[in-house]
Amino acid sequence: MNTSACRKNIRKLMFMLLLVALAGAAYMLVGVNFENQKLFAYAMKIRTPKLIAMLITAFAIGGASIVFQSIINNTIVTPCLLGMNSLYTLIHTAIVFFAGSGSLLARNANAAFAADLLLMGVVATVVYSYLFKKTRHNVLYVLLIGTVLSSFFSSIQTTLTRVMDPNEYDSLLSTLVASFSNINSEIILFSVVVLAVVIFVLRKDLALLNVITLGKDQAVNLGVDYDRTIRRLLLGVTLCIAVATAMVGPISFLGLIIANLSRQLLKTFRHGQLILGSALFGMIVLVGGQLIVEQVFTYAIPVSVFITVGGGIYFLYLLLTNRRV
Amino acid sequence: MQIKNLTKKYDDKAVVDSVSFEIPKGKVISLIGPNGAGKSTVMGMISRLIAHDSGQVNFEGTDITKWKSKELSKRLAILTQSNNIQMKLTVRELVAFGRFPYSGGRITKEDQEIIDKAISYMELEEFQDRFIDELSGGQRQRACIAMVIAQDTEYVLLDEPTNNLDIYHATNMMKIVRRLCDELGKTVVLVLHEINYAAFYSDYICAFVDGKIAKFGTVEEVMTKENLSEIYKVDFEIMEIEGKPLSIYY
Repeated sequence: MNTSACRKNIRKLMFMLLLVALAGAAYMLVGVNFENQKLFAYAMKIRTPKLIAMLITAFAIGGASIVFQSIINNTIVTPCLLGMNSLYTLIHTAIVFFAGSGSLLARNANAAFAADLLLMGVVATVVYSYLFKKTRHNVLYVLLIGTVLSSFFSSIQTTLTRVMDPNEYDSLLSTLVASFSNINSEIILFSVVVLAVVIFVLRKDLALLNVITLGKDQAVNLGVDYDRTIRRLLLGVTLCIAVATAMVGPISFLGLIIANLSRQLLKTFRHGQLILGSALFGMIVLVGGQLIVEQVFTYAIPVSVFITVGGGIYFLYLLLTNRRV
Repeated sequence: MQIKNLTKKYDDKAVVDSVSFEIPKGKVISLIGPNGAGKSTVMGMISRLIAHDSGQVNFEGTDITKWKSKELSKRLAILTQSNNIQMKLTVRELVAFGRFPYSGGRITKEDQEIIDKAISYMELEEFQDRFIDELSGGQRQRACIAMVIAQDTEYVLLDEPTNNLDIYHATNMMKIVRRLCDELGKTVVLVLHEINYAAFYSDYICAFVDGKIAKFGTVEEVMTKENLSEIYKVDFEIMEIEGKPLSIYY
């Protein structure tokens, strides 16, 4: 059905895959000393986990954003609305505030990752599974709860930073921006396992996404258990965002950009293609952005600044051009 | 399909109050009545879109809540007014969704033939590769009906299919409804505001007032001056055109 458009999209996706490969190769090899075996090995050791982390993050956020937008049936929502960013910020501030920057949770990347993921997982399950049921599966209530929770978490966080020791605050600040430098192979392995489990458990629900976007009435008419599917997908989206955020920090705003770029480029309703496109765009943006940050700005500006500035402008553009909002 | 003592309450107010009637097979049945009489709610409940509080909807011998949703979707199709599709979807792709209950996301050769037939039945061939959001209201409505035809169900429920259509497109829509029944042998249940369409194109009329059935019967039985004045609380005159009772209200 409509095979020419389908083939065209596959070609576009292949081209993007090529770009990702190029960006990845450039990231690994630019500025590396090829003469000295030891320096080369050292550079590889530093860069490989970062590159893998970026690819995983892009995949998790890109996929989750497309799914989230399709559930809400609105293409300008970002999974930031789920409140995981501010929860992450709050967790890290609270750890430094109560246990100090020298504590195990603040120093050990694995422990911090585990704590983040555990707390976010619990909050996600309670809010987006239990409350969703309680509010009779009204997706707008869920958005509202997410927004309220976000500001609730940020208010506590702001209060804590006001009374915090300035030195502690200084050390805290660096962990509150998204960064790929704290990542080791254990975290990567664990994230991949969590994401794989989420995708495996939700594989049937994901296959229903195309029908879900026709709206509740049509989906039910076509025999889909709408409420259950939405609840499971929403929980899955939150977990994906939680994994990505626990791994690299508050970065889910990226989702808005890459999901919409994917929709604009592919112009399809097929979620397999949209998710893949969104993930590939995410990889290009993250790897390319990090390459520029490291090689041009020598770490002076973190990549999340680019994402926020670029994303903000793109968001305005979407608002102004999308007449159907 | 039998409906027994069907009730729906919002808070304590019953919007549908103990409604019982039987939908005759292979006919066109119109649900009419003033705003807020509960017609659309009844339609929602007999199609499982809205859960009922008490009573029973008996569909082919089994209660509608006991049916597997997927099995039901091969026997009963509903088209509601809320059709704002945000996706970039072509007409053909929309119609193809009608085959979802049968083959999931994978369209077979047989499905393709059924989709082709549905598209040509609704005379949508020249639009089939256009995006839904580029079509006019009438064309979009026809595309939705084509999807229902592709769904190939015995029962078709349409919630205000003539809403937002001009006289030309609304009349065409009603002719299509008649053809669905006469040519394809489907049982069609409609919610209508325009009583003359109900009178001219349907076999039975079920009139609701305040969540209860005021009158249910053949067109001739329901379309009398007294009945209509009682239902709508305005004055009516009945005229006969082409053997059908049509109403004038003022």
